[in-house]
Amino acid sequence: MEFIYYFGEVFTPVSMLLLIGGTIGGLILGATPGLSPTMAVALLIPFTFHLTAVHGLILLGAAYTSTVAGGAVSAILLKIPGAPANIATTLDGHTMAQKGDGAKALQLSFISSLIGGVFGVILLIFLTPVLAQWALAFGPSHLFWLAILGVTVIGSLDSNSVVKGLLSGCIGMWLATIGFDDMLGVKRFVFHPSLGGGVNIIPALIGLFAIPQVITMFAKGRFDTSVEQIKVKKHPIGAAIKEVLSRKIALVVGTITGSIIGLIPGVGGQIAGLVAYDQARKFSPERAKFGTGHSEGIIAAEAANNAMVGPSLVPLLTLSIPGSPTAAVLLGGLLIHGIFPGTDLFENHPDVVWPFINSMLIGQVLMCIFGIYIASFAARVSQVPQSVMAATVLGLAVFGSYAVQQSMGDVYVMAVLGCMMYFLERFGFTAAPLVLGLILGPIAESNFVQGSMIANAQNGAFTYFFTGGLNMLLIAVAVVSIAYSAWSELSTREDA
Amino acid sequence: MNYLQHRISSGVIAVIAVWVCWISYTQKPAEAFLFPRVIATIFMTLAIWTFIKALLGRTKTGNGLSLQAAKNMAPGIVIAGIYIFWAAKALGFYVSGTIAFFMLLSFYDPASNNEPKTWIKRVIITVGFITIMYALFALVLQVYTPRGMFI
Amino acid sequence: MKKILAALAVSLMGLTGTAYAGNYPERPILMMVSYGAGGATDFQARIVTMTAGNEDALGMPIAIINKPGAGGRVGWNWFSGEADKDGYTLAAYNVPHFIAQSIKGGVDYSTDSFEPIANWGADPAVFIVGKDSEFNSMADVVAFAKANPGKLTFSGAGLFVGHHIAALQIEQAAGVKMAYIPTKGGGAAAMKAVIAGDVLGGVNNLSDAFRAAAAGNIKILGIADLERSTFLPDVPTMKEQGLDVDNASVNFRGIMVPKGTPQDVIDKLAATVPEMFKNKRVAKRMKAGGSPMHIMTRDEVKAMWAARQATLEELLKGL
Repeated sequence: MEFIYYFGEVFTPVSMLLLIGGTIGGLILGATPGLSPTMAVALLIPFTFHLTAVHGLILLGAAYTSTVAGGAVSAILLKIPGAPANIATTLDGHTMAQKGDGAKALQLSFISSLIGGVFGVILLIFLTPVLAQWALAFGPSHLFWLAILGVTVIGSLDSNSVVKGLLSGCIGMWLATIGFDDMLGVKRFVFHPSLGGGVNIIPALIGLFAIPQVITMFAKGRFDTSVEQIKVKKHPIGAAIKEVLSRKIALVVGTITGSIIGLIPGVGGQIAGLVAYDQARKFSPERAKFGTGHSEGIIAAEAANNAMVGPSLVPLLTLSIPGSPTAAVLLGGLLIHGIFPGTDLFENHPDVVWPFINSMLIGQVLMCIFGIYIASFAARVSQVPQSVMAATVLGLAVFGSYAVQQSMGDVYVMAVLGCMMYFLERFGFTAAPLVLGLILGPIAESNFVQGSMIANAQNGAFTYFFTGGLNMLLIAVAVVSIAYSAWSELSTREDA
Repeated sequence: MNYLQHRISSGVIAVIAVWVCWISYTQKPAEAFLFPRVIATIFMTLAIWTFIKALLGRTKTGNGLSLQAAKNMAPGIVIAGIYIFWAAKALGFYVSGTIAFFMLLSFYDPASNNEPKTWIKRVIITVGFITIMYALFALVLQVYTPRGMFI
Repeated sequence: MKKILAALAVSLMGLTGTAYAGNYPERPILMMVSYGAGGATDFQARIVTMTAGNEDALGMPIAIINKPGAGGRVGWNWFSGEADKDGYTLAAYNVPHFIAQSIKGGVDYSTDSFEPIANWGADPAVFIVGKDSEFNSMADVVAFAKANPGKLTFSGAGLFVGHHIAALQIEQAAGVKMAYIPTKGGGAAAMKAVIAGDVLGGVNNLSDAFRAAAAGNIKILGIADLERSTFLPDVPTMKEQGLDVDNASVNFRGIMVPKGTPQDVIDKLAATVPEMFKNKRVAKRMKAGGSPMHIMTRDEVKAMWAARQATLEELLKGL
C-alpha cells in the first residue's frame, strides 16, 4: 500500500499540468495515423531532458496510456488503426460509427479502456514480483507455440470463410518475410529497393485499412445519390457505462487476456486486442453479431489493449528487460535520469517509481474523461462528405506512413498493399487475418530458429518443443482453438 | 456474385503463390528460406484450393467488382497514383498534397461545378487540410518531408 | 545575430575559397540510427546529439530517425544507397558491426561507402551468466565447453555484430566449440535469454550488463577489451583470464556521412562534432545511463576503421 503515499507527488501543480498535457497530447498523437505509442513516447523523450526524473516519467506514463487509447479514435472514425493494438477495434467500432453510433463506440471504447487499464496498473502495483517470474517463464519454444496459437485465431477472425481467413494469414506471413532475414541477414524477396527494409507494420496497417476505404469511396462515384448522409446519434454517457458493465463476459475476457498477453516479453500489446476479440466472441452468447457493430467487440478489444499497458512494464521495472518497443523507449527515459530498473528499484527510487505508476492510474481517468468529452463531437467525422473524407484519408495515409521512418519506400509499400487489399476485399478476403499474419510471422520464425539452435545444443528439437508443462498447455489450447474453428465452420455450413 | 471474376482473382493469387513457393525453394542459402518454404507451401495449398473452389463455382463470399464502380474509381486511382509515386517526391509533400487533395475533392464532390460558391468551399477545405498537416507534421512533429522544388 | 555571424562566415569563407560550408547547417539535420528506439545505440545517439542546436555546436538540432532491422543492415543499406549526400543526413555507425557485415557480404556498403565524422562511445562486450549459474570465471566456462563440445548455449544480439565477434574470438582463443544463439531484437532479448535461463550464458554490452549486474540478475565473468572498465573495476579482462581476446569486438559508436558529401561539410562536422560530444551535460547524462564515452576525431576513427577491417577479415576468413 506504499504507493498511496506517493499520490501527493502527482497532485502538485506541475505534475498535474504535465499529466493533463501528456494525456491530451497523447490522445491527439495516438489518433494520428502513423504515430504508434512507441513513436509518441520517443518523441517526448527530448522534453524529459529538461524535467526532473519524476516529472519526466509522469509525462511519459500519461502519454503512453493515452496514445494506446487514442489509437481507438482513428480506428473507429477513420478505420485506420493507430497501432497494431487497435486493429480489433476497427472490426466493430468502425461498423458502429458508420451506422451513426460513433459517439457510442467512442464512449464504450474509452470506458472499457479505463477499466482494463486500471486493472492492468493494479496488477503492476500489487503483483509485480510474482508476474516478473511469469514473464521469464516464456522461452523461445513457448513464444513459438504462442505465435501458432495466434495463427489459429486467424482462421476464426474471418467469420465468413475459414479457408480465406487462413489464406489471408499466409499472405501476411509471407509479406513479413520480405526484406532482410533477421537472423542470417540474407535478403529475401526484395524485388524493388523500396522493399529493402521489409514491410513495416505501421505503414502496412495504414495501407491495408485506409486505402481500401478510400477506393471504396472513389468507387461510389461523383453523382451517387444513394449514399445518404449518416445521422450521428447522441448517446448518453450513463447508457454507455451501463452497457459496458452489462457486457461482463467481454469485459472480463478482454481485461484478463490483455493482462496476460501484455506480460509476455516480445509479443506485447500487438496481438492483445485481436486475441481478446476472438476469445470474447467464442465465449459470447451473441457470437453472430461480432463484426456488425456489436458493442462486445469494442469492449473486449479496448479493455485488452489498455489492460496490457501495466503488465507490459513488469519485466522492464523489475528485470530491466523491456518487453515491448514502448517499454524500451521508457527504459531510455529512466536511464537518462540515472535510474536503473531492477529488483531493488522500488526500494531505491520509490519517490520516482510510485508517482510514475500512480500517474498512469490518474492518466487513465483523465484520458477517459477527455475522451468522452470529445466523443460526441468527434463522432461527427462520420458526417463528413465522402469526397472530403476520401481525400483526407489519402493525405493522412501518405503523411502518416512517411512519418514512421521518413521513408518514401514505406509510402510506396503502403499504397501497393492498400490497392491490393481493396481487390482482395472485393473477393471475400479481410484485412485483419492478413495483419495478424504479418505480426505473428516474425515472432514464430525467430523463436523457431532460436529454439531449434538451442535444442540442437541440448536434447534435440522434439524434447525442446514438445515437453514441459507450458509447452503442452499452449499446444493444447491451440488444438482446442483449431477444433473449435473447424467445428463452427462445419456447423454453420449445415445451417446454410 | 460474379463467378468469372472470382475465377480470375483466385487464379492470380494461385499463380503468385506458386511463384513465391518456387522462389522459396530455389534461393540460397537454404537456412534463411526454411520458414518462407513452410509458409509458401501452405500458402500455395490454400490458394490452389480456393482456385479450385472458384472454378467449381462454390465461392461463398465477396461481391466482385462492377463495371460502373471500376469506371468511378479510375480517375481517383490515377490521381492518387501520380501523387504518391511521382509528385510527392518531385514537387514536395505539401505542394503535391495540396494539388492532389484539391483535384480529388473537386472530382468527387457532387456539388455543382458552375457555382463559384462550390469552388470557394473546395479551396477553403483544401487550405484547411494542408494547414493542419503542416502544423502537425512539420511544426509539431518536425518531420522533414521531401521538399522537391518548393516546400 | 546569427544571420550577421553567418554572413560574416560566408564572406570569410569566400576569401579562403570555400563558400559552401559557411551556411551549413541551415536547417535541422537528420540522424539515422539503424537500431530500434530505446536500444543502447538509439539511447546514446539521442543524448550525444541533444546539444546540437546550441550556438557553439551546429546551431541546428539533430533529429533521430530509426530504421531497425537485420542487425543494422536495413538502415546502413538505406544510408549508403538512398540517403541524401548533402550533409543533412547523418547516421550512427557501430563498429565492428557494419564492417563485419560488409566482409560477410550480401549488403551494399563497406567502409568505403561512408565518411566518419567522430566517435562518441566505446562499449566493450562482456561475458555474462545468470545469477545462479555454476560458472564463476571464464575458466569454468571454458572447462564446461571442453567437456561438452557444442553444448554450451550462449546468447548475443545477432550474427556479425560485436557480440558475435566476441563469441568467435572467445571460442578461437579457448579452442572450444560452443553454441552461439543469435537473438532478434538486440541486446535486450539476448539479456532476457540469460536472465530467464533459456541459455547458459551470453555476450552482451557492458553498459546493459552493468545495470543488470547492479540489479543482481546476472554475473559478469569477463570483459573483451584491452583494459578493465571504470564501471566494473572488479571484472577481469579476457586476457587476464588467459584468453587471447583483444578489443576487436568493442562496440564503437559514432557519427558518419555517406561518401560523396561535400568535403567542406565533412570538415565542418569533423571540427564541430567532437567538441559537441565534450559538452558537460552530455557527459553527465551518459554517465548516469551507464554508457562509457570515448571521443575520437575523424582521423582517429579512420585509423580505427582500417585496423578493424584488417582484424575482422582475418577472423572471419574461415566462416
